[in-house]
Amino acid sequence: MAAMRWRTVLASLLLSMVLLTGACSTQAPSPYESIQQETTGRNAPAAVSREALAGSNFNRFFPASANGFDVVPAQEKQGFAEYKLNQGGTTVAMLSINDTVSNPESAQKFADSTEQIAGYPTVDIGSQQTAILVSDRFQVKVQSRDDSFVRGDRVAWLEQFDLSGLSRLE
Amino acid sequence: MSKPIYDLVDQLPTRGITVMSLRALDFVIPKQWDNLVGFDHTIRTVTRETDPALVKQIAERAIALYNDKSQGYQRALWLYQTVDSASGALGTAALVNKIGQDISFLGVLKNLTPKPEKAQTLDLCVKLVVELVAFCQINGIPGDSIGDFLKALADYSGESLMRMAALVCFDGLVPLGPSFAAKGLQTLKSMQPSDLTQNSTFKAVGSMIPGDSPKGQLHFVTESVESTRGWMEKFVASKNLTPDAVVDNLSKFVDVSKDKFDYVGAFLDMYSKYYEHTGIQTLARRLIERAVAEI
Repeated sequence: MAAMRWRTVLASLLLSMVLLTGACSTQAPSPYESIQQETTGRNAPAAVSREALAGSNFNRFFPASANGFDVVPAQEKQGFAEYKLNQGGTTVAMLSINDTVSNPESAQKFADSTEQIAGYPTVDIGSQQTAILVSDRFQVKVQSRDDSFVRGDRVAWLEQFDLSGLSRLE
Repeated sequence: MSKPIYDLVDQLPTRGITVMSLRALDFVIPKQWDNLVGFDHTIRTVTRETDPALVKQIAERAIALYNDKSQGYQRALWLYQTVDSASGALGTAALVNKIGQDISFLGVLKNLTPKPEKAQTLDLCVKLVVELVAFCQINGIPGDSIGDFLKALADYSGESLMRMAALVCFDGLVPLGPSFAAKGLQTLKSMQPSDLTQNSTFKAVGSMIPGDSPKGQLHFVTESVESTRGWMEKFVASKNLTPDAVVDNLSKFVDVSKDKFDYVGAFLDMYSKYYEHTGIQTLARRLIERAVAEI
């Protein structure tokens, strides 16, 4: 009887081990599988709208290098332009303009804005970003990339863009 | 279907010959490269944002941008992957039976053949042009814009600078000696367009190299090497780089013999996929920088 019981115990132990090992070796699905599905395949929507203005349209509205800060071109894609803000060879911030026609939800967040910079609705995103929306379409954003570059610096650099020029862009 | 971008970044190796050979170049550009792996980890490192919901939002925009073929990111990845596998293809067949076994330099030595100097020189030049074309694809600059690339090269850092350091050291200095850039240019200038089209590395990526004919492409490759020669020579001189110094440091990380100098280049060509590895890291960084700015 005792031997029988032991065999049962052993069998259930082995079974649990097999199940446990099986469960561990199965990779958890990626949290990004659904977005991957949505954005691939023949009928997937484009991430960048054809109506988005070329990034080259935005270059002239960026601030110029001054007072020990270098404004260095980083990216220029359809609907997007970005510059690095370097100080003494270190990137302290990123400056960007994007056309929200490609992702209107990024413009929607300004609907709840309670603050303005230079007359434009302003939001903080996460802990490192401050953005304004010009002409209900162009998002101008400054992101800190160094502890020395705080929110006050982000606001000051946002004010240095040629915002009225950007607001006249068709 | 090709792999999702998050899988590519999540599955980047943290050990092995590619990683160790790049670590061996830390003496060239100290603390510039820290082998950033993992998609979410890369997002947190690049953006300094830690809120999981925000990280997910950035990731989703980055994935969508990568999957939009019109944006050029997939072409850039293809270039990095292809130039690596094509330049290392020589002799792969002889080593097929080694797959799955631990690879040791001495163990595979008998199967390694140093490339003829002309083929090695062309490899270096084609890889350099691939960097230029991939840079333009990723950053949205017209594909033949050598001037913009040169300006950006001066500002290269992190994994991009490491890729260039590896190009200079592993594809230039070690196999061709200190005058590799001049040698490259000399070879290109004495070549016929047909020499270029017969090179296996060029054959693999030729469709993406600017120029409307092999003659035009040879001209573009020559012009690119001519323009970047100064940068490469300054890089070598400013860091006092010599083939000995590179192999000496390499032997501390990767099992290579210092007295089998000729074979070190061939070994790295076969087993170090540094273009693809650092290329994926560059691509992920740029995608994430764009995604976080656009959300």
